[in-house]
Amino acid sequence: MALIAIIDDDPDILDASSLVLKSKGFDVITATNPQDAYIVVTEKKPDLIILDVMMDEPDDGFYLAQKFRKEGITTPILMYTSVSKAIGLDFGKNEMVPVDDFVEKPISPEELVSKVNSLLKVKEGK
Amino acid sequence: MNGKTAHILIVDDEKGLRYGTQRLLEDEGYSVETAENGEEGIRLGTSKEFDVALIDLKMPDIDGMDVLKEIINIHPNTICFIVTAFASYDTAIEATRIGAFGYLPKPFTPEELIYQVEQGIRQRELIIEAERLKKEREANLLELAFEKSRLNAIIKSINEGVLIINRVGEVAYYNYAALKYLNISDLKISEPVLYKLPEKISDIITNILEKETFSLKTITTQIEVKPNQELVIEAACTPISQPDGSLAGVVVIIGNITDFKKIELIKNQFISMVAHELKTPLAAVQGFLNIFLDKNMNLSEETKEDYLKRSVVRLKGLTDLVNDLLDISRMEIKTKQREIEIIRIEEVLTGTLQFLEFELKKKGISIEQNIQPNLPTIKADLNEITRLLTNLLSNAIKYNKENGIIKVEITTSSNYLNIKIADTGIGLKPEEKNRLFSEFFRAKNEKTRGISGTGLGLTIVKRIVDSYYGKIDVDSTYGEGTTFTISLPININ
Repeated sequence: MALIAIIDDDPDILDASSLVLKSKGFDVITATNPQDAYIVVTEKKPDLIILDVMMDEPDDGFYLAQKFRKEGITTPILMYTSVSKAIGLDFGKNEMVPVDDFVEKPISPEELVSKVNSLLKVKEGK
Repeated sequence: MNGKTAHILIVDDEKGLRYGTQRLLEDEGYSVETAENGEEGIRLGTSKEFDVALIDLKMPDIDGMDVLKEIINIHPNTICFIVTAFASYDTAIEATRIGAFGYLPKPFTPEELIYQVEQGIRQRELIIEAERLKKEREANLLELAFEKSRLNAIIKSINEGVLIINRVGEVAYYNYAALKYLNISDLKISEPVLYKLPEKISDIITNILEKETFSLKTITTQIEVKPNQELVIEAACTPISQPDGSLAGVVVIIGNITDFKKIELIKNQFISMVAHELKTPLAAVQGFLNIFLDKNMNLSEETKEDYLKRSVVRLKGLTDLVNDLLDISRMEIKTKQREIEIIRIEEVLTGTLQFLEFELKKKGISIEQNIQPNLPTIKADLNEITRLLTNLLSNAIKYNKENGIIKVEITTSSNYLNIKIADTGIGLKPEEKNRLFSEFFRAKNEKTRGISGTGLGLTIVKRIVDSYYGKIDVDSTYGEGTTFTISLPININ
């Protein structure tokens, strides 16, 4: 079954998301900050990355996603957003948004699973 | 006289002289009127503006000097001659002082008369031309810059920038503040200026100047003159009308709103941060609830209980944040009612440590107390002092290492009660120490990950200390620990 990496500084969100995905048979690895996330992704090479938009600083989720793309990591990225357009989405008005899809917190298990499945299908199709 | 016939007034009681002089001057092509006494001289001379007036000094009813005064009073540009048989140095001086142009002693030859009148007329022409130019400049507002009035001095020194542009787009007036706020190095009066101005302003002005009609409405705009909000101005443009109602130009008043914008930015950032901080725990709790409600998820009883407990914790955090925000806002509004009572600081300390017992145990923190015996009481609001200690001790726990120590020391010195709280925790970097009491500032480095907080705790502490005219000191070594020392004045009745 596919390996999913979840990156979020909120342990409650992390646990809830992990539970949901594990119950659907996915393998899950987690990280709570950009530095650990980088290590986890490059070493474990997950099939999908779920990334929170803000961890320590506004937009650091975006910056991490951009870093992955720049290094040729093409893994599909699903981004958790929490504050609609409020917090720091100053990121790259002119830059390509480096994530593949968004899901807004609070997370409904159905929506999460559905988005994860679509992104994995796309990856397989590649 | 410029193509027009000069008008001359003769005021003399001597009939023969009147007619003779009139004939002479009319032969030269001038238009002449006569008055046979002072009163009539005044009447004629003031009701109509003559180019030249020849006034006899000695008349039966009114002295020539008085006629001179009256005419000059109404028509200061009429060239007046005092004509007299009783010529003297003194009268000549006095006449000139009153405003006469010339002094004609009788008897005079026709040539002398004509020569003097011609001189007078030439002078008159110069005066009229100067007046015309002045009016033109006034119409162009270009006179404004040369006004040596006190008002001018005041305008030059006020904080707001003042820039006046005439109807053909030239500078009519400016003060130093205008140059500063528009970031223009120099301006010259009557220099075309629209191209030097920020586009938004020149557009507004051009709009006003080009229209057929104008209304006296002020149009305001905000402009970032230097990038990165280094200088932001608000310019208010208002049309100026001439006395006859036509457009004279536009006055631009410029205010420096850089600080206001900074505050606005901080406020908006604050609101964004608050929104994020509020939404985060709600999202976590909702996330748990969604899983509870999903029939397909089979949660163990253990997991259910865990999720409920964690939800409670998150909601408490949310409540704390809301309370912090309310405290800050109350302090801002200063409507918070203080209940001053006599407080024993050692009791407040004990109460606070009890309140924080769970957190202390959880992290294994031990407390070392060193409390001077027979401490004086202080008069203060119990809630505020409790809050003060709670915030400091709570930080001392949060930022401490596992099984660390908190040393609390209470002493007195001169007129102060000193409370020292030292932890063995993360400590502060120098740059963090400087910003410690700023709203929402939270130290963010590798060591502080996972520590929650609103960033308002120390802000509240500082405000409380300041409101009692106390002092607060911070000493810290990164990696080793931090010590806060609060000194509160002891009220001695």
